[in-house]
Amino acid sequence: MTAKINTLDPPSSASSDSDIEIQTELSEVFPDADEIDEEKSGDFYQTPASPITVPYCPRPASTGSQKSPRSRRQRTTSINQTTQNKGVTESILRTPQRTIYTAGRPPWYNCEGQKVEPFVIGICGGSASGKTTVAQKIIESLGVPWVTLLSMDSFYKVLNEKQHDMAGRNEYNFDHPDAFDFDLLIATLQRLKEGRKVEVPVYNFVTHSREARTKTMYGANVIIFEGILTFHHPKVVEMLDMKIFVDTDADVRLARRLKRDISQRGRDLEGVLKQYTGMVQPSFNHYIAPLMSHADIIVPRGGENEVAIQLIVQHVQTQLQLRGLKLREELVAAYATNKQPRPDTVKLLPTTPQIRGLHTFIRNKDTPRDEFIFYSKRLIRLVIEYTLSLMTFVDKTVETPQGVLYNGKRMATNNICGVSILRAGETMEQAVCDVCKDIRIGKILIQTNLQTGEPELYYLRLPKDIKDFKVILMDATVATGAAAIMAIRVLLDHDVLESNILIVSLLMAESGVQSIAYAFPKVTIVTTAIDPEINGRFHVMPGIGNFGDRYFGTEPNC
Amino acid sequence: MGSQDIEFNGGYEYCKGYKGLHVLQSHHQIRELQTILRDKNTSRSDFKFYADRLIRLVIEDSLNQLPFTDCNVVTPTGATYDGLKYKSGNCGVSIVRSGESMEQGLRDCCRSIRIGKILVESDADTHEAKVVYARFPEDIANRHVLLMYPIMSTGNTVSKAVNVLLEHGVKEECIILSNLFCTPQAVQTVLDVYPKMKILTSEVHPVAPNHFGQKYFGTD
Repeated sequence: MTAKINTLDPPSSASSDSDIEIQTELSEVFPDADEIDEEKSGDFYQTPASPITVPYCPRPASTGSQKSPRSRRQRTTSINQTTQNKGVTESILRTPQRTIYTAGRPPWYNCEGQKVEPFVIGICGGSASGKTTVAQKIIESLGVPWVTLLSMDSFYKVLNEKQHDMAGRNEYNFDHPDAFDFDLLIATLQRLKEGRKVEVPVYNFVTHSREARTKTMYGANVIIFEGILTFHHPKVVEMLDMKIFVDTDADVRLARRLKRDISQRGRDLEGVLKQYTGMVQPSFNHYIAPLMSHADIIVPRGGENEVAIQLIVQHVQTQLQLRGLKLREELVAAYATNKQPRPDTVKLLPTTPQIRGLHTFIRNKDTPRDEFIFYSKRLIRLVIEYTLSLMTFVDKTVETPQGVLYNGKRMATNNICGVSILRAGETMEQAVCDVCKDIRIGKILIQTNLQTGEPELYYLRLPKDIKDFKVILMDATVATGAAAIMAIRVLLDHDVLESNILIVSLLMAESGVQSIAYAFPKVTIVTTAIDPEINGRFHVMPGIGNFGDRYFGTEPNC
Repeated sequence: MGSQDIEFNGGYEYCKGYKGLHVLQSHHQIRELQTILRDKNTSRSDFKFYADRLIRLVIEDSLNQLPFTDCNVVTPTGATYDGLKYKSGNCGVSIVRSGESMEQGLRDCCRSIRIGKILVESDADTHEAKVVYARFPEDIANRHVLLMYPIMSTGNTVSKAVNVLLEHGVKEECIILSNLFCTPQAVQTVLDVYPKMKILTSEVHPVAPNHFGQKYFGTD
């Protein structure tokens, strides 16, 4: 609960840190404000069963009990972490009724592999107006599992020594536009909007500088950008698809700030009021309030305004439907309508008797697992060796012990890494390690959502600097190509060159090959066999069944 | 093997009159392996690592020469796959010592295959090859034989070994030599005498890397 309300009001305030742990003390002094807070926390965040309780409270306990002005700032830092976590690590589908912890990232691109532009919502409003509450209520009601929440707090400028001292005396104006690094903000938002990976700075409110570590965020179906001055820069305004202004009464906002600053930080009433009247209030009047004219929707009373939030959610859902897709079906349909000759990027191993013999073993439903593993490993080795032969080579002359020179070749690059698509792709990792010494291996977990039939991204670990690498992307079988396309999309979002990606598998369906080649014409596709059909359950025909299940022995009824 | 980067192979051109000679389709990646194996500055651990890779490729390709029959199987999806099945009745024979380096590669492909051995010593002065030891599966006369010998520079050793196999009743056309490097001269020597057998190699080159056995087993 605390974490949630934390996000409720951003930094605008040295004062507006938010922890409502000790509500009772002030509830008599500011009964009204307390009520609001309680309502907010109670509705969605206090229930232990609520999904949000888990992911939204990653704050280290150590920050919880500090009371000096410094630690107050630290608090705000943890707000940043919290908000960012929402976008990155949370793969939790939240609906008011139930919680699904398993949902991954659904496709964020269309069947041509091109990214669908995310819907960007900007939320603006004065400090302590309830912007984050509104954002979170929107996320909950949307039921979209992949939402990125970007907070303006991350983009405070690094302060010099003098400014740092001023901040210590609460004389630095954090509510002024000059306090923000708009260049970085715009660049970050732009990349997110393109669906790319971004490193969001982590602002340290103690040192007033950026920490060495950053938070990794990805573009999503919906991006919510919130802060006190989100509509200040025209370029940012341009990027927003929907602009919401949270208009909470100044009395309420002041009350919230007073309560938090006094009850939780032990600051005196006078100091808080001085800061409020000296900086927060004038900044609001000068810079924030006029931004209301940019807004599409003005939400009075903030997060408690259910009607407004429902209206917003309805609009966003309509917009998402217009952009969204039934990807896998579309892939199959796209193939049915345009059969094309096999593209040049498809590299099929020559069908030697060996290859066919191996296929005979692993396709046979009666092959025991022992043999299945043995023969698939042989086939995998062959396809990996073949893949390496597709790399670029340069001339190299060496001296031989026989005393003559030998004009040979060597691979042009040592930067090769493997990325396996879990689970079946993992079976190919060993072979890659067997042929490339010290190769790095990344992993991507993509699972099919049994309800929608769509692939969803759950887990991602890639080598650093993967953008400089040739990537051997491994999956044992490719049917519609949906998972492969998602994996390729992930790699591209990490700035890997399309021409540096090789998707390698044992068996592909013709339609999957076409879809991948159509979506990513520069990706090399390597396989040992291409089967003509896909059945209604998206299985390759004649196929080899569920490769992962057979290899790992997890078939149903066995 | 590769559809791109297929390269003109001088040695192969020289010997292509011989129908029994099969050279692994040379692409740059195999060339890289060969380069590493020939480089005198290659460390022993690298040498063994890349030799094993090349051996595996040669063995896999040699197996293509073995007889097979059609075989249809039912896949887990209920469909039929028109496959093939290798006939049983094959065996490997390695020529001691360097041929033994290829045994593991064969085992990795055929787990329970029988493996015989021949020891051929060549006289230090006359270079005359002499069979010292031979041990084969009993019914070798009825089997296809994968003869393993990685480096062939004169062909004398292999000729002797083939001769022993023939004496044991193996048919000439059932002998397949798996080889990494050979010289044109060796190809001539062997195939002129035994035109029905097959030689499968990765490279035909006038200079053979004769240090192979020593470096692989670390006895240099």
